[in-house]
Amino acid sequence: MISRRFFFAFPIFIFFYIAQEAFIVQLRLPFAGFSLLLILTLIWAAMSTPEIGALTGFGAGLLMDLSQTTSGPMGHWTLVMILAGFLISFLSYGDDHLRANPLNIVFLVIIGVVASQVSYVILGFLLGENFGGFSRIIFICLGTAFWSAIVTPLILPIVSRLHAAVFGTASRI
Amino acid sequence: MRYGGDNRGRLLLIGLIVTALFLITLDLRGVSVINGVRNTTQSALSPFQKAGSWVISPFRNFFSDVTHLGRTRNQIEKLTAENERLRLALQNRKNADIELEQLKGVLDLAGKAEYKVVSAKVISQGSSTSFTSTITIDAGRTSGIRPNMTVISGFGLVGVVKTVYSGSALVELASDPSFKVGARIAGTQQIGILSGQGSRKALLQLLDNTTAVKVGDVILARGSSNGRPFVPGVPIGEVTAVDNSASAVTQTAEVKFYVNFSTIGVVSVVVRAPEIDPRDALVPPKPVPTPLPTVTITATPSPTASAQE
Repeated sequence: MISRRFFFAFPIFIFFYIAQEAFIVQLRLPFAGFSLLLILTLIWAAMSTPEIGALTGFGAGLLMDLSQTTSGPMGHWTLVMILAGFLISFLSYGDDHLRANPLNIVFLVIIGVVASQVSYVILGFLLGENFGGFSRIIFICLGTAFWSAIVTPLILPIVSRLHAAVFGTASRI
Repeated sequence: MRYGGDNRGRLLLIGLIVTALFLITLDLRGVSVINGVRNTTQSALSPFQKAGSWVISPFRNFFSDVTHLGRTRNQIEKLTAENERLRLALQNRKNADIELEQLKGVLDLAGKAEYKVVSAKVISQGSSTSFTSTITIDAGRTSGIRPNMTVISGFGLVGVVKTVYSGSALVELASDPSFKVGARIAGTQQIGILSGQGSRKALLQLLDNTTAVKVGDVILARGSSNGRPFVPGVPIGEVTAVDNSASAVTQTAEVKFYVNFSTIGVVSVVVRAPEIDPRDALVPPKPVPTPLPTVTITATPSPTASAQE
């Protein structure tokens, strides 16, 4: 069962990864842009159990670490995304009030995006990386939050349907 | 009901975290397998990025185009079909013109300094969500590009080649916060270290505190041994502000890069440094102010009534 889900989910994440790396980053959006894979992972995790959330975070984190634009060592995004995926799904799983309203998931994902980036920076500082000044970090985090607030509601229905198709549940949003 | 978790779940989470930490440790210790995986991924992604660049380029300036259209909805609806076709053709032409101009500029610069260069198109710009400033170019190992080679544009220093793949290369931009280059001031020959700040402004720290730096001074790359990672004489930018505080240990200045990193389309990688240091030969000429035309009006007296009589 797990392998079947994996084989269905894997191409979805690869597709979004390629879309991010080949197209989204080239749009040169103002205010830092957004990470499609990060948003997908957090939405996916918000609709899954904490174990699946952590596994999803692990897989997506590995892909993000393989990105040429990542400055950190391999495993940097992986560690952040495992925790982000687990925490997002932990907060939303079993809470029907939260899942019933798509706005709650959008809100949770935006907070998750900002929290992931802040965690990435903190972990990066511990590993001796340089991310520039404080104002630049704040600008990028706020810019990403802005774009995530626009993109998340747009892709939420698609991700919800894909998630339902993979997991065979009727809990579509 | 809130999820309480179980031992299996906790074990999985701990296992995943340990795996991530293991990966970090391996990468920091320089295990080649990790780099190999990254290189393979980049090689696999390269065709997609080239395709993406081709598809996205006409629409890249979509937001600014929309902002400056300045036409009503009705007019746009009437002209949509023709407008779209013309805009696409114009955009393609504009892109070609801009790329041609950039290529001409960079070849002029390289020719003046006798650099041997390989020109390349920018196929991807690094995502700033990872807090880095990078670009990917469509020339790699097969074109003779190696890590730690200087990358220039027609205006000056762009960055340095960080990682090379078979058909593409990752360039760390000079604006990246971790970027540092040995620099000197044209004319006075004072030397210092220039650091990227994540924007078009950089920070120059002079090594000698007794000499003066002033606004408008041109900053050039000092050059490294064997021309790697930096060839000598490449223009970097111009001093825009100077910190002259008496308490400072070293004199610092704010430098504005000549290169606008957000509009780079074509760059050149210096594959061989010149045999002779070009010194200040590449300092860009100061803009000559255009003289204002002087208009002289001479009043011609109209013939008076008495004269007419």
